Amino acid sequence: MIEFQGVSKVFADGTKAVSDLNFRIEKGELFVLIGPSGCGKTTTMKMINRLIDSSDGKIFIQDKNIRDMNMKRLRWNIGYVLQQIALFPHMTIKENISIVPELVKWPKEAISKRVDELLDMVGLDPSTYRDRMPDELSGGQQQRVGVVRALAGDPDIILMDEPFSALDPITREQLQKDILDLQKNIKKTIVFVTHDMDEALALGNRICILKEGSVVQVDTPEKLLQHPSDDFVEKFIGARQDPWGAPLSEMTLYRSRTQAPLKEEVNEFLLTSHSVRAAFEKLKDSEKDSLAVFNDEKEYTGDVSYKDIVLHLEKYHFKDRGGALS
Amino acid sequence: MRVLAIQTFFQLAIDRRDLVTSALWEHLEMSLISLLISVFVAVPLGIILSHYRQAAEPIIGSTAVLQTIPSLALLGFLIPFLGIGTMPAIVALTVYALLPILRNTYTGIKGVDPALMEASRGMGMGTLQQLHRVQLPLAMPTIMAGIRTAMVLIVGTATLAALIGAGGLGDLIMLGIQRNNSYYILLGAIPAALLALFFDAVLRFVEKKSTGSSITPIATVVIVAVLLVATPTAMSAFNISGSDSQEEITIAGKIGTEPEIIINMYKHLIEQDTDYNIVLEPGIGATDFLFQAIEVGDIDGYLEFTGTAITTLLGEEPESYEEREAFEQAKEGMYSEYNLVFLEPMDYQNTYAIAVTEEIAAELNLEKISDLQEYEDELTAGFTFEFYDRPDGYPAIQEAYNLELNDVQTMEAALRSEALVSGDVQVIDAYSTDSYMIRYNLVALEDDEMVFPPFNGAPLFREDVLEEFPEIEGILNQLGGRISEEEMLEMNYQVDEEDADPALVAREYLEGEGLLD
Repeated sequence: MIEFQGVSKVFADGTKAVSDLNFRIEKGELFVLIGPSGCGKTTTMKMINRLIDSSDGKIFIQDKNIRDMNMKRLRWNIGYVLQQIALFPHMTIKENISIVPELVKWPKEAISKRVDELLDMVGLDPSTYRDRMPDELSGGQQQRVGVVRALAGDPDIILMDEPFSALDPITREQLQKDILDLQKNIKKTIVFVTHDMDEALALGNRICILKEGSVVQVDTPEKLLQHPSDDFVEKFIGARQDPWGAPLSEMTLYRSRTQAPLKEEVNEFLLTSHSVRAAFEKLKDSEKDSLAVFNDEKEYTGDVSYKDIVLHLEKYHFKDRGGALS
Repeated sequence: MRVLAIQTFFQLAIDRRDLVTSALWEHLEMSLISLLISVFVAVPLGIILSHYRQAAEPIIGSTAVLQTIPSLALLGFLIPFLGIGTMPAIVALTVYALLPILRNTYTGIKGVDPALMEASRGMGMGTLQQLHRVQLPLAMPTIMAGIRTAMVLIVGTATLAALIGAGGLGDLIMLGIQRNNSYYILLGAIPAALLALFFDAVLRFVEKKSTGSSITPIATVVIVAVLLVATPTAMSAFNISGSDSQEEITIAGKIGTEPEIIINMYKHLIEQDTDYNIVLEPGIGATDFLFQAIEVGDIDGYLEFTGTAITTLLGEEPESYEEREAFEQAKEGMYSEYNLVFLEPMDYQNTYAIAVTEEIAAELNLEKISDLQEYEDELTAGFTFEFYDRPDGYPAIQEAYNLELNDVQTMEAALRSEALVSGDVQVIDAYSTDSYMIRYNLVALEDDEMVFPPFNGAPLFREDVLEEFPEIEGILNQLGGRISEEEMLEMNYQVDEEDADPALVAREYLEGEGLLD
């Protein structure tokens, strides 16, 4: 879908932003760009819709070099969500959402229908919100509109530049869930920039870690956690407390069996010293829905199911919000 | 008393409603045209500057420099290029309006949140779409504030445009100042203030009506203004086109009643004997303005005084205090220096005079300035600062008459005569033919040592005009040696104090002299 071939960017003042980027973003994938401040993640993203032009290398969208495409057409086909939300304060919600459809000259009725449909999709009642001004909405509602605005022209690609970082934790979590739902339904290719590893792990199909303008590792969240390519990545992930790396002894375990099984009698079991990640892997391989856990004294302490892991992760998220790395 | 004053004011407003209406219209037209031009120049310039920010400060700075030029100086400065009348006034007003509009446009556009600009760019808007849909609507309150500031500035400054013959409400204000008549001042000042408030209300209304919709407010203002300005202009252009076969001669006069009466006489006389169309430009604010205008040919002639020609225009010392010799000196000098021709001078002089009330004159038996010496310890003088200060004023008197008045107070010209009547001062400086000489029963003391150079009024014309229209010389020379000081005083009094029409007063005099049928 989107392919970077040896892309570099040197700014006019001589600053090297990124160098020799090579990766491919697949259709329908939510691709996260992450790294510490100044790593070039935002520059990388903005080169896709040519808000920044690369100094070297080529970027292809559907095998077409973006330099050979009409700039306006390119941008109309790429939704853009900003950290600052940036709804136009002098336009109503409807007018804000209608901008790209109007630029590409959709018929009026089609635009109205599209606006209502999109507002519904993010849980904003069209008849209530359609004609409001942006400053009458809460920050979370505004960014929902921001996301919807990016979707309005039915683009194939959506760029999101730290879209939730200005929001409070609870709203942020809600919007992250919305994005996941949305992604399931609309299947757009999303490029998502963040500095929040939790967010990256929660949302990304694949995560691209950048450091000083170069790609360090591109992988799925699981692989990234299991096989960090170098110390930097490990530290970068480890800098946050990893709920996946916590031992099962830290999990709240419930005994679902009336009679405690003996360790010798079950062939699939877990130890309290095992990590959550290990438990997850074992569950994946097993045909059972839950596995018994034993402590070092071979005593049965409870069972672990997928649900327990989710609850653990969720509890963890609320306990330690933020996890910002930069 | 107060009720009476209000009645008098309204009576005057009703009597002079035609004058007020036409002055108001001129004012409105002049202000609107200037505002329109400055909007057309400054708004696009401000937009362009917001793209080239390095150039912005120097350019905005230079409009700020223009703003610091005193308005009267700017008006005078433009005369050699644009002459007198509405044209230079509009240019000067436009220059004044540039800064607030330019600065506010620039600041407004620059102040648009960069995130919004990036969002609009990311959504695939072009530069013009960004301007139209994002920048202008968001900057509009700031731009409109600049336009409103400029408008108030223009309406206020336009009152000064009267001094270069542009007309407008300034005419009424200047008239009031000359005549020391506050009703006339108010008759000009109140409509000017109302006009500013009206414009402001219209602009604010338009702005409010169209928040968020970019060009609409400016477009509305522009269309209304263009219609308003263009309609009468187009109509008058249509009317004039029928009569422009006539030759047109422009004769001007300095600010004041007396020059206005005299140039009206010129008009009556020339139009009686020829087909020429005489256009009068009375009330020009300064000798310098008139002189520049005649030099560039924007006016064909005006009423000048011999003393002014010698000392101010030629920068010479008077060779003689005898009237004829002074006139010859002025005539020769003006011709050789500037190719301007003085026609025959009139009898009366409008010179500096030392004046006292009739009672004091009778009581102390004062007839000549030299009579003052005897009472120099008892008398208090009220002089204008100019007279007190200039070498050919009070210092010259002191030297020639060995006069050392006990107490000299400097005061506003308009306050002198009242201070004299109230008894606070006994001696003032005056112009010998000014109407307050009659109003307050003043006596001009004879300048027996001939300190003041002669100030005889005479028509001053461009040589090429007299060659093209040779009849003028003979016609205007009929006034040579006519009009005594008493006659002039009487005519000034009629206009200033009795509110008579200068054209009519001129006609009556000429008819009385048998010069006009």
